[in-house]
Amino acid sequence: MEYYTLSRYAYLRYYVLILYYRLAEYPPVVRVWAIFSTLALILIVSILLGIILRAAKSSADLMIIANNRKRYYDHMKEVAMTPRALEPGEIVAMLHLPKNFKMKERQNRLLIPVMHELHQEIHGVMSRVNWQRMLQAFKMPAYFEEQVRSRSIRKRVVAFKDVIDLDANLKEAVASRYLFTKDRKLQIHARLHAARFGTSYPFKVLEEDPNLVFTDELVVKYHNVLVYRSQNGLTMPNFIRWCNRVPINEELRIFAVNEIRLFKRREDCAELLSMLENSRDERFSCAIIQALGDMDYVPAEKEFCRRYLSASFTERQVLAEALGRINSGSPEVLNFLVEDFQQTTDYVTRMRLLRVIYNYGRHGRDAFYQLKATCSPDYAIYFEHIECNLIDSRRYA
Amino acid sequence: MPEWMLDFFGYFVVIYSTLVISSYIAMAVLAFFEHKKHYTYHDDKYTIEELKKSPYTPGISIVAPAYNEEKTVITNVNSLLSLDYPDFEVVIVNDGSKDKTLELLIENFDLVKVPYAYVEKIKTKPFKGLYKTQSNNPAFKRLTVVDKVNGGTKADASNAGVNVVSNKFFVCTDVDCVLEKYALYRIIWPTMASTRRVIAVSATMRMSNGSIVEAGQMVETHPPHSLIPLFQDLEYTRSFLIGKSALSRINAMQNVSGGFGMFDREIVIKAGGYDGDSFAEDMDMVARMIRYMCDAGEDYRVVQIPETCCWTEGPPNFKVLNRQRTRWGRGLFQFFSVHKDMVWNRNYRQYGMLTLPYILIFELSAPVIEACGYLMVLWLFIEQAINYHTIWVAFLGLYIFAQLLTTVIVSYDLYVGTSFRRKRDYLWFALASMLEPLFYHPINVFFSLRGYWKHIWGTQMVWGNMTRKGVQSAKPKKEVPNA
Repeated sequence: MEYYTLSRYAYLRYYVLILYYRLAEYPPVVRVWAIFSTLALILIVSILLGIILRAAKSSADLMIIANNRKRYYDHMKEVAMTPRALEPGEIVAMLHLPKNFKMKERQNRLLIPVMHELHQEIHGVMSRVNWQRMLQAFKMPAYFEEQVRSRSIRKRVVAFKDVIDLDANLKEAVASRYLFTKDRKLQIHARLHAARFGTSYPFKVLEEDPNLVFTDELVVKYHNVLVYRSQNGLTMPNFIRWCNRVPINEELRIFAVNEIRLFKRREDCAELLSMLENSRDERFSCAIIQALGDMDYVPAEKEFCRRYLSASFTERQVLAEALGRINSGSPEVLNFLVEDFQQTTDYVTRMRLLRVIYNYGRHGRDAFYQLKATCSPDYAIYFEHIECNLIDSRRYA
Repeated sequence: MPEWMLDFFGYFVVIYSTLVISSYIAMAVLAFFEHKKHYTYHDDKYTIEELKKSPYTPGISIVAPAYNEEKTVITNVNSLLSLDYPDFEVVIVNDGSKDKTLELLIENFDLVKVPYAYVEKIKTKPFKGLYKTQSNNPAFKRLTVVDKVNGGTKADASNAGVNVVSNKFFVCTDVDCVLEKYALYRIIWPTMASTRRVIAVSATMRMSNGSIVEAGQMVETHPPHSLIPLFQDLEYTRSFLIGKSALSRINAMQNVSGGFGMFDREIVIKAGGYDGDSFAEDMDMVARMIRYMCDAGEDYRVVQIPETCCWTEGPPNFKVLNRQRTRWGRGLFQFFSVHKDMVWNRNYRQYGMLTLPYILIFELSAPVIEACGYLMVLWLFIEQAINYHTIWVAFLGLYIFAQLLTTVIVSYDLYVGTSFRRKRDYLWFALASMLEPLFYHPINVFFSLRGYWKHIWGTQMVWGNMTRKGVQSAKPKKEVPNA
């Protein structure tokens, strides 16, 4: 008697043949439907198995994270909160780690949530040296390097985010590989990492990249990076140089002007004003006007009034707001605002001017009430609207 | 019936079903890539942290029309005010309620009528007044209540809200919706991360029936334990996680849900706002925004995000389901009669060449074809002409495919991380999936046809009230949010 052992592919072929011959007398449409149903069934079973395996894996991960928290959290906190710089040996002893301590990739990965939680709790008061040394003791830098070098894009992106979140240390040479990579999101994370921790001048890539698209996401992230750098005494970019020397990217120039405003660099105001005089781009001009207004740069008032008469609708709104913010109490400016209010017919501009006049010191308030007294009853609601302090001032825009 | 007609119908059904199944498979694959991209690059916590501390985070206005909502309005407004976002305002539009909706709002939030210079950027029924709080509670300062004459539609009330919002983006929602605490961070992010102008963002919505809500926040998500909301939950999940995600991948989104969607205010106003006469006002709005952008030759994106941001109450019985589906059916028919020039029109890019033909063939025509199929089977049964040797294979194939789709959406739901609290809750989905093709689907076909019929014969339709049972609350109490 002969025995045949089928391999896995032969089993599959055998099954398909049975399916085919059993249904051989049926029309082709029915045979196709039968094969389709079988394939769908196989897919359902595979997906269900995948879901079960994934659920089991994630519950195991959660248990390990809980164990890590129980085992290391207090010890890590003690190390990070010690004010004097601890020696690596002392840290290993305090963490109760064995001498030739090694961690597998998964253990490192599951320690990160615990570290992140601790970092969130104490990042303002901890000793940075001890924190870095503790990360070394857990071999975290090596782990991050391995992740950044891995083939999976997700692993690389997550590694960059974790490095930023944990204030970890990743060699610049490792991260710099991705500064000009084609994958835009990965490139963004690598650049943000470089911008946050770079010691020389990490913003060079922004100046040199001709394909840079500076989205609002980057605006938010780079601003946070700059705040971090200024708090930690790291070198800051020369924003005025960005305004002058990067004509290839208008967004970056606008960002630089906004950063001057947010970091209150009053020393750059004079140069900004001279840029405004030569500026042709509306968005760039608006950013400068807003910056000068926010920094109460009184010498800009004259230029603002000069520009106002020939400005576009959007620019007029910004100019009126800026004049209101500077609020120098100048009678010429107040007269200018009142005259323009009387001449303009556009509702939004009128309301904005009225708000500026109302808040323009004591004289402004007087002018407001004079205008109110002379206006037609149809427009009385505008004045009452401005006077009502319960309404959000942006609401008429 | 002549034999050639039977043959023709048979071949037509086979080809049509094959096309439907192929389109579903293609969409499931596209949706997978969309979710994979999201999973690879997006980190919710990281995004929230970044936006929280940035002065560049854009403001958002929430517009929620309310009509005769006295039972739930206070809890729901509290829920909206307790959202986590640095700069947002809540605009409640009282659409001429006949009950005590406005009085309750005034009393609970210490509101007072303010002299407001209302400008009708979009035409609406007359504006009666605007209310702001006198209270020192900073959370209440975010609230604005607009009172207007009843316009009869949600569209008219939403337009009045759009006229008073002060931010560049506004979220349109229903006052009975429960929003996820971090929903605003999630919905604004695509507008910031995209290199193109994002004119509308849609987020995943689920049924709140069966879930537990505390202090206006969802604390435990469970599937509905009654059949109609359960079927609808399955339908919503399939639509958002497969259909819309796939279309978002190729920038061909057909609709931003009226329950929770964010819009660019400037484009909405330029497109003329919501159409008060439309029964599918949200779909119509998106179509007109896309029309405006394409006619102006501007680049745009309409995005779907996979995370669940909003829970809404599903129809609790057949009567309400009938009203809802008849309205949707009628709205779809009306939509195509208004926007027929966009179908197969290259000027409207993916929307005109792909989305609208797809909806026309597979959504608008489907109830008619399915109804013909049911009648044909009935006729064959009476004539005893059914070939039982073959019909079971076709039925089995379709039935198993429906189960496959449910398995795929469960896996996607777990993949994007918006799952139920207990994994075993998905068994309810399995149950719904097994029963849906047998009971729920044929009923919906009937309701849709009823809607078509009403549109064709111009029957007047009244906007009925949705019967609300309210969500389960862990601790029923009057909550006062703080900023």
